[in-house]
Amino acid sequence: MTEQPQFVRACAVDDISDPGTFAVELSGTPLVIVKSDGEIFALDEFCTHEEVSLADGEIYDHTVECWLHGSCFDLRTGKPTGPPASKPLATYQVRIDGDDVLVSLPPAE
Amino acid sequence: MSSLAGAVEAAGPTSSLHGSGSLDPDDFPVPAGREEEWRFTPLRRLRGLHGDAALDLGKVSVEVDADSDITVGKAKHGDARIGTALVSSDRVGARAFAGFGEATIVTVPPGVVAARHVGINVVGESAEHGAAGHILVEVGANASAVVVLQYAGSATLADNVEFVVGDGAQLSVVSLQDWADDAVHLSHHAALVGRDATFAHTAVSLGGSVVRIAPSVRYSGSGGNAELRGVYFADAGQHLEHRLFVDHNEPNCRSRVTYKGALQGDGAHAVWIGDVLIRVEAEGTDSYEANRNLVLTDGTRVDSVPNLEILTGEVVRAGHASTSGRLEDEHLFYLMSRGIGLKEARRLVIRGFFGELIGQIEVPELADRVMSAIEAELEKGM
Repeated sequence: MTEQPQFVRACAVDDISDPGTFAVELSGTPLVIVKSDGEIFALDEFCTHEEVSLADGEIYDHTVECWLHGSCFDLRTGKPTGPPASKPLATYQVRIDGDDVLVSLPPAE
Repeated sequence: MSSLAGAVEAAGPTSSLHGSGSLDPDDFPVPAGREEEWRFTPLRRLRGLHGDAALDLGKVSVEVDADSDITVGKAKHGDARIGTALVSSDRVGARAFAGFGEATIVTVPPGVVAARHVGINVVGESAEHGAAGHILVEVGANASAVVVLQYAGSATLADNVEFVVGDGAQLSVVSLQDWADDAVHLSHHAALVGRDATFAHTAVSLGGSVVRIAPSVRYSGSGGNAELRGVYFADAGQHLEHRLFVDHNEPNCRSRVTYKGALQGDGAHAVWIGDVLIRVEAEGTDSYEANRNLVLTDGTRVDSVPNLEILTGEVVRAGHASTSGRLEDEHLFYLMSRGIGLKEARRLVIRGFFGELIGQIEVPELADRVMSAIEAELEKGM
């Protein structure tokens, strides 16, 4: 039997503009919650290239782009789609419960 | 006329990297992470040392082991001897200076040649709370001493160590950062080197979660000689940072900076920032700084930035170098073609890489210990 993921409230749906981001720390893990075309995603907050918060990044084409050096990450998979980052971000399952955004920890496989 | 005035270089800080030193924390805003002096440091892991975390709750002890001809004492804030060598260029250094309770002062009287090395042991009990510390080593004119400074245990420590080297004196310092895995340590090691004096400083950084050491040298007379050496081995998740600053503020002084490090494991991060400032008055300066990094596995990161700020053309030498790379296949092939296995060949090449610096550590048993510690680290990664 696989362990059920624990969903924790991260923020309210309306806390995030569309497109937009919301930074939150859950159980010591800094996350960025991203809304794009009505969909909500949860990823690690910091770019894998340098310690820069992606909450200040730009959202387009299901991608978050780091404002400092332009690293791009796919919102669905966390994989880098543009340099200089070469390592993926961890992604987390998201569930919407009424007005709340719930995020599972630990990261999705 | 006012437009012409703008064309003339205004009087500003001489060094663009070490502009306005101060010992007042209020002169430095809380860093956000993008500042030049902080952009490589993971601020989130500093447990608030760079912010406003209290520095009087942590338990860190300082013990000195020295012969009777060397004076060891304690001093409070306001003692005229404290703060002569130190010019802090960041908030943590200034906070450590403002926050220490009692400074440890080691004095080698003029003319004394210490028969045995002086041991200064800094031991932390817990990393839970922040601590501040201050150590001053004074070496009188024409005296000579070797100081071994060892950091161990768990701590969240911001400290400053000052070295005041008298005219014609010789001081060799080995600073061993052998912390437990959870330690966070930010430290300035500031030296003021007298006329015709020699100062050697070897930083050996092996343990700790985040270790950031900033050795600096200024001169108080001409003819001073500074040798700054460093050896580090960054493991998975470890951040080891060394920020060197040599301020050539007197003529005919010499400085050599040589740092070598190896990295192994996911998230191992080494940072080396070198800065040599040769002021207008420092004619006849002879200076060179170099950093070499061996990247042993994937997933590590090296940031190596040598800087030179030269304000006079009348120098003997001013150079810098930086390399970061893997073990050379040809070196390994050469050894393996003579019947040595890959594991042993790697070990030999790495031993040779560090041997140049470790061989210069003045205390043989400490040199052996450092080499053994590096070999133990290598063994873990093989």
